Amino acid sequence: MLWLSIVVDNACTKIWDAWGSGVQVTSLRVSPAVYDAVAAARPGEVARGYPLMLLGLPLIADPGVATYEPVVV
Amino acid sequence: MLTEEENEVLCRVGPGTPMGKVLRRYWTPAFQAADLPEPDCPPIRVTVLGENFVAFRDSTGQLGFLDELCCHRGASLVLGRVEEGGIRCLYHGWKYAVDGTILETPNLATSTFRERVRHGAYPVREAGGLGWVYLGPPGTEPPFPAFSWTDAAADELVVSEMIMDCNWMQVQEGSIDSSHVAILHLDTLATMGAGPRNVGSFEFAGEPWDLDMPVPARGQGGGRGGGDGRPGGWPSDDNAPRIEVENTPFGFHYAAIRDVTGEPGKRFVRVTAFAMPYTAFIGGVASGAVIVVPRDDYTCSSIGVFKVPKGAGGIAASRRAGGVAPEVWGPEPENRRVRLPRQDRAAMAAGKSFAGFRGGNRIQDAAVQMSEGTLYDRAKEHLVPADLAIIRMRRLFADSIRLVEAGDAPLGLGEGCDFARIGAASQIIDAGESWQDLVPANQGIREPVRRA
Repeated sequence: MLWLSIVVDNACTKIWDAWGSGVQVTSLRVSPAVYDAVAAARPGEVARGYPLMLLGLPLIADPGVATYEPVVV
Repeated sequence: MLTEEENEVLCRVGPGTPMGKVLRRYWTPAFQAADLPEPDCPPIRVTVLGENFVAFRDSTGQLGFLDELCCHRGASLVLGRVEEGGIRCLYHGWKYAVDGTILETPNLATSTFRERVRHGAYPVREAGGLGWVYLGPPGTEPPFPAFSWTDAAADELVVSEMIMDCNWMQVQEGSIDSSHVAILHLDTLATMGAGPRNVGSFEFAGEPWDLDMPVPARGQGGGRGGGDGRPGGWPSDDNAPRIEVENTPFGFHYAAIRDVTGEPGKRFVRVTAFAMPYTAFIGGVASGAVIVVPRDDYTCSSIGVFKVPKGAGGIAASRRAGGVAPEVWGPEPENRRVRLPRQDRAAMAAGKSFAGFRGGNRIQDAAVQMSEGTLYDRAKEHLVPADLAIIRMRRLFADSIRLVEAGDAPLGLGEGCDFARIGAASQIIDAGESWQDLVPANQGIREPVRRA
């Protein structure tokens, strides 16, 4: 089972760490499995052509990112 | 957000479910001790974690917490007679002691059965005006969470329980969500001088609207004033606080850190403590806690426990509704289920109320949390970084589920922790100071914060 709770917690912690260092963040890179899970959970947004977003950031699928280690950019 | 599958796993609590197995590894506050006021008083039905039990007080005053249905033919022991050291089923007279010993089986003369079989009975303790039970595997009981108020006398405790028709996670997430407080509860905080007086372009128009709610004079209710003549005691205009969360042996601390208006170098900090899995100590609320316990997947109890000075009424005060209309909620056992109150649109339009719900913060909370539906589908939500406390709580539960499924203990059992030191804080500090120093039970697992 994919635990988005863990993905989101790790991503949120990284966002606050970045802000704490005065760094602005613009997107969130996640594994394709996470991206697909978010897309599957939000068919309405996909159908309307909205960008998928998590924690206020646009999601980017990146095969180089581990499932539970999202990267804020 | 959660996937549909993960949402189900985190929210459902019945026996055998992943979350149900986790929650059964903690002491669970299951009922109000005052509902069993004296030896041999009528028993009560308790629904908790999706199961039904009977609680009773035997002739010596000892509490018993047993499976509800008689193990002979399944009649409810809630109908039973509490007499001479046990509870007797009405159907065929089988009688049980508080530890589940079968004392009598009138329609079975031989003793072999009752000597070899016990009725389902669970450890139960009375503390802080509540009956706490342990429903986990025998021999796995964690340390009892002896919070600062659990040894208070009955005349020093106010306990109020609201039964809400929604999944417990909706209410639990609300109890640790500080970012809604100055918005949903604007009327309360603005009137008390304990918070801001606007939400975006909405300006609170003024005098106490929720007239049934006890309201102190202006400026007497909140934190330290900013000294600039603003009407309230809320010392900050910073609506986007910095959020920090730190795990502890009992759960986590969560700090909202705001700049102080007119005082560069000062920070206004509110710290909430979350003790797994049910209890929140909320910044700005002294000497008490909010406990959220699932009754089943679609119903929960939100229990406020507050320590008050001797002579303030204690448990007796618990029996007063405190300004909530009786058709909405009441403290009596048969009236604890919250019914959504009528929303006063005229007061909202006139700027006299932001939310339009009379009865104080907990009724406003109940209104929005129950409005999410009986079991909210979190696939639809859009969390933001300010939701870090909610995010961290889900993480602790997810990690605990994985640990228990692997045969280990869940997180936050508080091994070696002094529960009596757990509490919240709301204070102005110097920018170089650490908020961790405000909460005496801080036992974070992060690297120590550099001190100025």
